[in-house]
Amino acid sequence: MTNINGKTYAMNAITPMKAFYTPILQLIFFLLGHVKAGQADLINLSFIHFARWVVVKRHKFPRLSDSQPEEQLHYDYLLFFSNFNGSWNQYIDAFADVLSIGLNLIWRWSVRYPGARPVTDFKRYIALVQFDTDYYYVAYPRAAANDVKAAFRVNDALEDFARASKDMTPAEFGGAYLKFVTQVQGDLGATGIGPVGA
Amino acid sequence: MPNQSGNVYGLTILSPIIHGAAGDISHDCAIRDYLAGLPRDHRSLFAKVSSTHLARLVVMDDVVFVGTPAREEHLQSKYLVFETNFDGDLDTYLERMAREAPEEVHAVWQHCVGYPGVKDPAAFAAYMKKCQIETTYFFADVNNKTVQQTLRALKLQSGVAHFIEANQGKSASEIQTAFRQFLEKVRHAPEPLAGEYEGHPHLPARGAGATGRTDPLAEESEGHHG
Repeated sequence: MTNINGKTYAMNAITPMKAFYTPILQLIFFLLGHVKAGQADLINLSFIHFARWVVVKRHKFPRLSDSQPEEQLHYDYLLFFSNFNGSWNQYIDAFADVLSIGLNLIWRWSVRYPGARPVTDFKRYIALVQFDTDYYYVAYPRAAANDVKAAFRVNDALEDFARASKDMTPAEFGGAYLKFVTQVQGDLGATGIGPVGA
Repeated sequence: MPNQSGNVYGLTILSPIIHGAAGDISHDCAIRDYLAGLPRDHRSLFAKVSSTHLARLVVMDDVVFVGTPAREEHLQSKYLVFETNFDGDLDTYLERMAREAPEEVHAVWQHCVGYPGVKDPAAFAAYMKKCQIETTYFFADVNNKTVQQTLRALKLQSGVAHFIEANQGKSASEIQTAFRQFLEKVRHAPEPLAGEYEGHPHLPARGAGATGRTDPLAEESEGHHG
């Protein structure tokens, strides 16, 4: 079991849904995908590298051979995969605090979903439906989502400064360098190993 | 397309695992056993397939029973869940897996129903696509940068921090000279390795600056061990 690699936690969850709710959920996701405001909270939370929801209909589990027994399921299943920074508790707390309306829209179609608030019941439910990761790879394990965005801001600022300062006199360079340092100073936090327990 | 966000593709695959035993243990245990010993750093199979941002492999034993009044039900097969986020198109990625990490891919997927082997990358890609489940909703925080761009940006960010720290208190003309040398160093810096984590040369070392930073753009021979 290896849910954590560096600063990132891999969460997997599976919840049963009555099949007739599936089209409603698909419509909600379609709207979320096409309305930018629907993603704003996720973007602003800024601790999720990637996340996805996948509906597996009860007759659509892959069957590749006649010798493989056919699934005989009553429910469709909603799979959720997230790659987030921080601890499990921080993640669920932030999700429930900031995205409770969105979470309820997505999971209210799942059987016995208690709602995102109060968070104790929500955490109990997530713990029940979560399953552990066996192998987890992260190309940049020492960087959180915020580190990645900060790094690109520094890169852009450096490119601009390098271009602008090319032919400057030392006196001009001194002033421009101070401006550059002021511009990037908030984005220079060192990446590294997450704190214990994170 | 829900599988794609910007330039990043979110692939979800459920490969049914063969019933019964693979020698002394069951096929699902054999996968878990193998995955437990597989490196997760720059020696990972996904570091070889270098367009991979994040990936996971999970043996899904069964669905979850959430309690009454839900109906209790069980899967007839166990499934290997492969969830990955990568740059580029699906066929190229899957064929690269077969070409560039054939040993690891074979060691894992040989335990799955219908696996055709890796000798024919196109056949492997076709098999994987039969197991693909369409993503319903995919979120990517940064979706317009490749893995290599991200690694380079992080390395440069670290380099800039080190440069500023190392040149505090110097005159403008000294900093200007140092800055030109810094840009030259950036141009010739070795490509960062994907997945690098343990034994990383950028970790604070003895003799590092006040914030514990060493020069991330320096030659990295001591850190690139296999």
